[in-house]
Amino acid sequence: MVKATADWSERSHDLSRLLARAGLGDRAAFATLYERTSSHLFAVVLRINRDRAQAEDILQEVYVNVWRAASSFDAAQSQPLTWLTSIARNRAIDSLRRQQTQPRMRAASAFADGGESEDDDVYETVADDAPGPLELLSRAADARSLAACMDQLAATQRQSLALAFFQGLSHGEVAAQMRQPLGTIKSWVRRALVALKSCLDTAVQRDSSGR
Amino acid sequence: MDYGKSDLADALAAEYVLGTMHGGARRRFEALLPAHVALRRATAAWQERLLPLTAAIDPVEPPGEVWRKISDRLDRRKSVVTGAWQRLSFWRGFAALASVAAIGLAVLLASPRPGAPPIVVVLAPTGAAASAPGAAPIVASISGDGATLVTRPIVPVAAQPNLALELWAVPTDGTGPRSLGVLPTGAGATVALRGKVLAGVDTLAVSVEPPGGSPTGKPTGPIVYAGKFSL
Repeated sequence: MVKATADWSERSHDLSRLLARAGLGDRAAFATLYERTSSHLFAVVLRINRDRAQAEDILQEVYVNVWRAASSFDAAQSQPLTWLTSIARNRAIDSLRRQQTQPRMRAASAFADGGESEDDDVYETVADDAPGPLELLSRAADARSLAACMDQLAATQRQSLALAFFQGLSHGEVAAQMRQPLGTIKSWVRRALVALKSCLDTAVQRDSSGR
Repeated sequence: MDYGKSDLADALAAEYVLGTMHGGARRRFEALLPAHVALRRATAAWQERLLPLTAAIDPVEPPGEVWRKISDRLDRRKSVVTGAWQRLSFWRGFAALASVAAIGLAVLLASPRPGAPPIVVVLAPTGAAASAPGAAPIVASISGDGATLVTRPIVPVAAQPNLALELWAVPTDGTGPRSLGVLPTGAGATVALRGKVLAGVDTLAVSVEPPGGSPTGKPTGPIVYAGKFSL
């Protein structure tokens, strides 16, 4: 039921050792770490920043940072794959903000809600064959026995969560894409997060007491 | 704002990890992380909850030249690493100034052993400071008996006039940073550690404060350096 999570932890075990060795300056271990994780991180980055050339630059920055920070990685505090993915996501999300200053994206329906200048920028519509955010969420949900938790969410809450998470959209961008007022989106996202947290925490407790 | 308050910390961390927190808010959040245990914990918990969702994304093989570029960049700042202090040669490669802002806490540490050698903590530039050209860490060395702490910038730290750099010990119990004093700019400093100021502490951080140090007893400016260690 929790297969993806189990894989995540399993992969993490090997990665911990590679990271520890990379932290001591072992370049061969770092190369192996790159081999095993770069296609995942590249995909994560590409979801958020769809410009391939920029995504490649971001990936480069990510691994140079990983090399520098490897010695500070603490396996007791987080899983390596989680740590690596968060570094990649942060870089990718930051790159979107810089991109804003360049007039390369077309303006989307200028849904204006007044406030929050950070939120009212434009978005890009997904227009390729890659699975959409909702499909990704349902794949992940199947694998992680999140299905039950997700069922508790309204479809709209689920969609706003998926758009934000997989594509790195701000509240304003999600609002524009879903053609809803900003305040509505904020409350959907907030409620979805709260519901997800309590559901996942309950599932974790259930799992650990069942063993 | 009281970031130690767990509901608020949790809500902010959730939006940060989800990715809906953008721009200035995101950078501010990252600058706060090193000094706020509750925020750090909440963020880690949300990362463990949400990031496995990315396992559903089909992998995409990056072109080979990405690795070549990474490899070239590492060659340029190559260093031989056999011990904590030698590792510093790696950091010397970065050049000169320190400015302000937020991510990695780089840490090198040596655990106390019989005979108690000093514990070396590398305080890496955080946030905007980390991405500034020439960003270089400050090294803090805690004496084996835990009575003194010596800081040594790898390169002289050029602080802006009318600003001070204050050193903080951040305990893991969420009670908030304890001041260890204001650092002189440009040179190292020796700080006498009175009593058990380092008890339960796992992070040292440096914030930008008004001259003379924080008026409130807690950091009021951005955290510009941080490093973790264990006693």
